[in-house]
Amino acid sequence: MNLIRAILLLIIFITPLRANTIYNLIKIPNLKIYEINTKNKLKYLYATSSFRLGVQKNIVCLSSNKKDLERKYKTIYKNLSRYSYNYLKKINLKYIVLCEDLSISGINTAGIPDNIMKTLILDIKFNEDYFERVIHHEVFHIVNDQHRELFNKNEWSKFNSSEFKYAECSICTEKLGLETYNKTNGFFTEYSKSTASEDMAEVYSHIIFLSKNEIDQIRKLDSILDNKISYIENKIKKIDNSFNF
Amino acid sequence: MIKKIKASKSEKIILIFLVILSIVTIGPYFVIKNECLFIKNFDPKNINFKNPKNIAILNLPCGNVIIELYPEISPNGVKRFITLIESNAYDNVAFHRVIENKLVQAGDLEFGRKDSLDYGKIGTGKSGLGTIKSEIENEFIYVKGSVGLARTYKNDTEDSQFFIILQDEPLFEGEYTPVGKVIYGLEVLKKIKHQRHSEYILRPDFINTFRMLD
Repeated sequence: MNLIRAILLLIIFITPLRANTIYNLIKIPNLKIYEINTKNKLKYLYATSSFRLGVQKNIVCLSSNKKDLERKYKTIYKNLSRYSYNYLKKINLKYIVLCEDLSISGINTAGIPDNIMKTLILDIKFNEDYFERVIHHEVFHIVNDQHRELFNKNEWSKFNSSEFKYAECSICTEKLGLETYNKTNGFFTEYSKSTASEDMAEVYSHIIFLSKNEIDQIRKLDSILDNKISYIENKIKKIDNSFNF
Repeated sequence: MIKKIKASKSEKIILIFLVILSIVTIGPYFVIKNECLFIKNFDPKNINFKNPKNIAILNLPCGNVIIELYPEISPNGVKRFITLIESNAYDNVAFHRVIENKLVQAGDLEFGRKDSLDYGKIGTGKSGLGTIKSEIENEFIYVKGSVGLARTYKNDTEDSQFFIILQDEPLFEGEYTPVGKVIYGLEVLKKIKHQRHSEYILRPDFINTFRMLD
C-alpha cells in the first residue's frame, strides 16, 4: 500500500503542470479550439477525449472523429449564425462544445445549456431528423435561464385548455417525441407536453426553424399556438428589440 | 581467477568525452547562480515613448518591464490600475500565480504583501477600493505581453489583481478587462519564480516597485 502511495506521489511530482485556458474559462476538460473566428464571436470547441462533468460526474460526453465534426460543424454554424453577437451577449452564450453521445445520469440528451459558464454542449450524434431544430431548442434554455423573470410558467400554462397539466419534470413523462404534429392542437410536438419550459423551447425552436409562411399558417389554424408564439416573440423582443424571427 | 580487462584507447576517449559532456551540461546549474545574467534590463530614460503619460514601469528582480496602458480601451480599468500604481500599492506584492511560459499574476494587496503573506488566502484579497465593472466590449486581441485585470468567475469583480500573458490567448478576448501591453522586458517576466506542479507559488517573487513614468 505504501509502495502504491509512493508511486502515486512520485507521478504527481514528476508530472509537470499543464495549464488549460479552456478549462479555466468554462470548467470542461479535454477541449480544443475548433473555430473561434466567427462573425457573431461564438467560440466552437471540441472534445479531444471523453469528459465527465457535474458534482457527481453524471454528465458524460465522448470525443468525435474529424469527419463527423466537420460535417456537423457546418450545420451547427449555419444555424447559430442566425444569432447576432448582441443577442448572444444578452443571453450569455459564447462557447459551443461539440462532442457525441452526451448523457446526464445515463439519459441521452441533445444539449446541455449553461448560461453561467456561457456554454452550450451539443451532441453532434443526436437524431439527424431533429438535430437542427433542437439546436434552437437548447438555445432557448439558455435564454430562459438567463432571463427567468421574463418567462412565467403560470402565465404560459393558461394558454392551454383548463384540463391539461404538464408533468413534474421533462424526464418524469413518456412524452418525448420530437416529430412535429400535423394537427398541432396547442402543441408542436409530444415533447411540448412534458413541461412548460420544454413547451416554450419547442415553440421557440419551431419559430426559428420553420419558414414565416409555415408559422403564419399554424397561427391561423391553432389559436393556442398563436398565443404561445406571440408570447415568445414578445419576450424575445424585450431581450433584443432588433431580433428578427 | 578473474582476468583483469584493460580499457582500450577508444573506450578511454569515450569515457573522457562523457565526463566533459556532463560537466558542460550540469556545470552551469551550479556555476551560474545569477538567473538574470542574460536578461536585458531596459532603462525607460533611454527610450522615447509616443505617449509617456500611459507608460508604467514594473521593476522586478531581473529588471524592468515597461507597460503601455490603454485607457481608450478600458477607461475604468486603467484608471483603477493607475490609482493603485500611483499610491505605490503594488510594491512588495507577490506574483502568487505563475504558469511557466503562460501567465504571471500579482496584485493581491491584502494577502500577497511580503510582510503579511498569507498562503491560505492569497489570491482572494481585496484592495479596499471595491470592485469595478468588467470592460470587455471593445475589441482587444490578447497577444503575448497583454496585461489584463483578473476577476473571480463572475464579471464585474475586477479589483487590484492583474495578469500578464506570456503566450497568445485568443479566448481571453471578451472575458477579461485589458489594461495594457508589455512593450519592453517580456524576458524579465519569464524569470519570475514558477513551480512545475502548481500554479500557486511557495516563496514567490515580489514586485520591487511599480511606477508611472511621468
